Amino acid sequence: MAKLWVVIKREYLERVRTKWFIIATIFGPLFFGSIMIVPGYISARTVRDSKIGNLRILDATGTGLGARVAAKMAVSKQAIGSSTQVITLSSAALTEAESTATIAVMQKKDQGYLVLDSTTLTRLTARYAGSNASAFGETQAVENAVRQALLQTRLEQAGLDAQRVDSLTKVKVNMSVEKIDEKGRGGSGMASALFGFAIAFLLYFSIIFYGQNIMSGVLDEKTSRVSEVVLSSVGPDTLLAGKILGVGAVGLTQQIAWIGSTALVWKFRAVVMAKLGVPMPAFTLPPISIGMLCLLVAYFVLGFLLYASLFAAVGAISGDQQEARQAAAPVTMMLVAAMVFAQPVMFAPTSTLAKVVSLIPVTAPVIMPLRMSATQVPALEIALSLAGVALACAAAIWASARIYRVGLLMTGKRMSIANMLLILKLGRS
Amino acid sequence: MTALALDIRGISKRYAEHTAVRSLSLAVPTGAVYGLLGPNGAGKTTSIRMILNIIAPDTGTVTLLGRPNTDPGILDHIGYLPEERGLYKKMQVHRVLRFLAELKGVDAKEADRRIHQWMERFDLTTAGKDWGVAKLEELSRGMQQKVQFIGTLIHDPDLVILDEPFSGLDPINAQALKDTVVELKKRGKTVIFSTHLMDNAERLCDSVCIIARGEKVLDGTVSGVKAEHGGNNVALAVGAGGTEVLAKLLADHTMIEKVDDSNRFFEIRLQAGADPQALLRTIIAAGVPVQRFELVQPSLHQIFLEKVGATGVEPGMSGHG
Repeated sequence: MAKLWVVIKREYLERVRTKWFIIATIFGPLFFGSIMIVPGYISARTVRDSKIGNLRILDATGTGLGARVAAKMAVSKQAIGSSTQVITLSSAALTEAESTATIAVMQKKDQGYLVLDSTTLTRLTARYAGSNASAFGETQAVENAVRQALLQTRLEQAGLDAQRVDSLTKVKVNMSVEKIDEKGRGGSGMASALFGFAIAFLLYFSIIFYGQNIMSGVLDEKTSRVSEVVLSSVGPDTLLAGKILGVGAVGLTQQIAWIGSTALVWKFRAVVMAKLGVPMPAFTLPPISIGMLCLLVAYFVLGFLLYASLFAAVGAISGDQQEARQAAAPVTMMLVAAMVFAQPVMFAPTSTLAKVVSLIPVTAPVIMPLRMSATQVPALEIALSLAGVALACAAAIWASARIYRVGLLMTGKRMSIANMLLILKLGRS
Repeated sequence: MTALALDIRGISKRYAEHTAVRSLSLAVPTGAVYGLLGPNGAGKTTSIRMILNIIAPDTGTVTLLGRPNTDPGILDHIGYLPEERGLYKKMQVHRVLRFLAELKGVDAKEADRRIHQWMERFDLTTAGKDWGVAKLEELSRGMQQKVQFIGTLIHDPDLVILDEPFSGLDPINAQALKDTVVELKKRGKTVIFSTHLMDNAERLCDSVCIIARGEKVLDGTVSGVKAEHGGNNVALAVGAGGTEVLAKLLADHTMIEKVDDSNRFFEIRLQAGADPQALLRTIIAAGVPVQRFELVQPSLHQIFLEKVGATGVEPGMSGHG
């Protein structure tokens, strides 16, 4: 046990001392944090920055709609500092007025013009032409103004008092959006799906990243021949266990750091977003029970052990990095397959496909946590899936230890499959 | 302390295609310097790996310092320098050495003290520079060899096993290694080393074992082995000139059984009953300028060649050190 600890300590300390670990641990949460905040910030900035310049309104409706639009525009945030010129005219004069307005835009006197004609009130259409026609935020603001003005006009035409209409339509609503799913409550359906997907991705990423880290560690020891010195002090099983546990601890450390600081960012996101002037999205994290958390950890630990021992065996049978990359392809493919199924499972967590891939041991560590956050999975299915992963894990450790013992001292060419089968059968070459 | 530092009984190791070691038995007394001699591919490294329990023998037993080599903790008393050397290149020298010491059960504090001593002794820590904080890959090859050697001895082992320790060493490190082996012996430690360089073995070893094709060919003390193979052996050294005449004389198989011709030095094995004095007279009469003519025991090299035979030696593998 003392020697196992010495091996674990070396594997752990040598990795957490590296620059990439420190950089990834610090910048990981910044990255996740920016994913949460930056898109909102950018879109808010885009809306705020889209100022409408001088606008000409050609009103041929004969109802004073143009003046109403202008009034709405005047109180719109985007139009502050701009001037709106309303030209009331007859339908016949419209064509000529449009030509004049076009020239004004071309000469950059105006930014654009809005045409309200006889069809505006009846068919609810309006036309806008301007140098900013492709700016979504700006045309959106004009459209909003037209819509509000139209609404007012139509209500008046329906017999409502103008002042009353004005006060009634000046309503601002802040609506929080909540969806009800089959679990009855809690967060939006999209939020739990995204959360589940994030968990699945984190598991996938950690398993593949640290699994390959173990593989290159084994390969390094093998090619540098240091394994022989170490094996004269500890058995290969202890060395393998120490490596997997040490690297696993590194992965766990990083995840704790990431999750911890992401939680901090999450907690203070309101403050940060308010400072940046970004509206808070109506997004709440689905509640996680202790039981759920334990299951997530169990899937991560078992999944990591399963893949780490497979990757270690790949390192042991390979002669150099290139060979190892090739030999690792089947192992990596199993994990990639899990991610390929992630999306269909996310959208249909109760489908047969979702049930099957969450029971297959090689995909379960990624898929089952995803399913569990998306829907209520029957306890029996979870138990079956966990048992399957545990069994596969034990088999992988057993087989890898056998291959590792022999492969570590092998030099030169990659181990053949026939040779590997022989080693698995006999426990030696 | 038991009388035998290493007691091997009938170990064999078979691989799918060939037998690496066949029923090998050895007894190495405590405090001896023991040479495991053999051409490349003779099974030396496989035997050493079985001694260290890195691989398990198919049959036979290995007893180290009176305990089976599978006993927990017994390997903490053994130091091992493999033939193919290598350490963690990206690790700091000091950390590598502390790791190796801790693996052998030395606590970190004591390890640090010993590392400091060894580093000073091998000039890896000087007033101007401490290589202990450098990464291993920043060290020259010679310095890396020193570090590996320190790693072998850092836990003060009772039995030290060195696999081809002289291969790739520069003359200064080779000398340091020899000095250390002698010092270990003086301190009562047992040293076993494998080599195919007979000169080193002859100078350093108390006892030797020659193995070829996975089998023991002979073993015993160096003097015993030589006495056993002693016969009419003559060491002859000549000055410039007269080599052609000498070549003819040495081709006379009525008197001479075998000659190892090193141009100006000859190791000659006479036929049984041949008179060395008669040979000397003939050589002088032919006008060859003799510088040395001495009745000697055969060198280990000669015995090795004789025993292992040309077929057991790959070309260029058995040469003098």
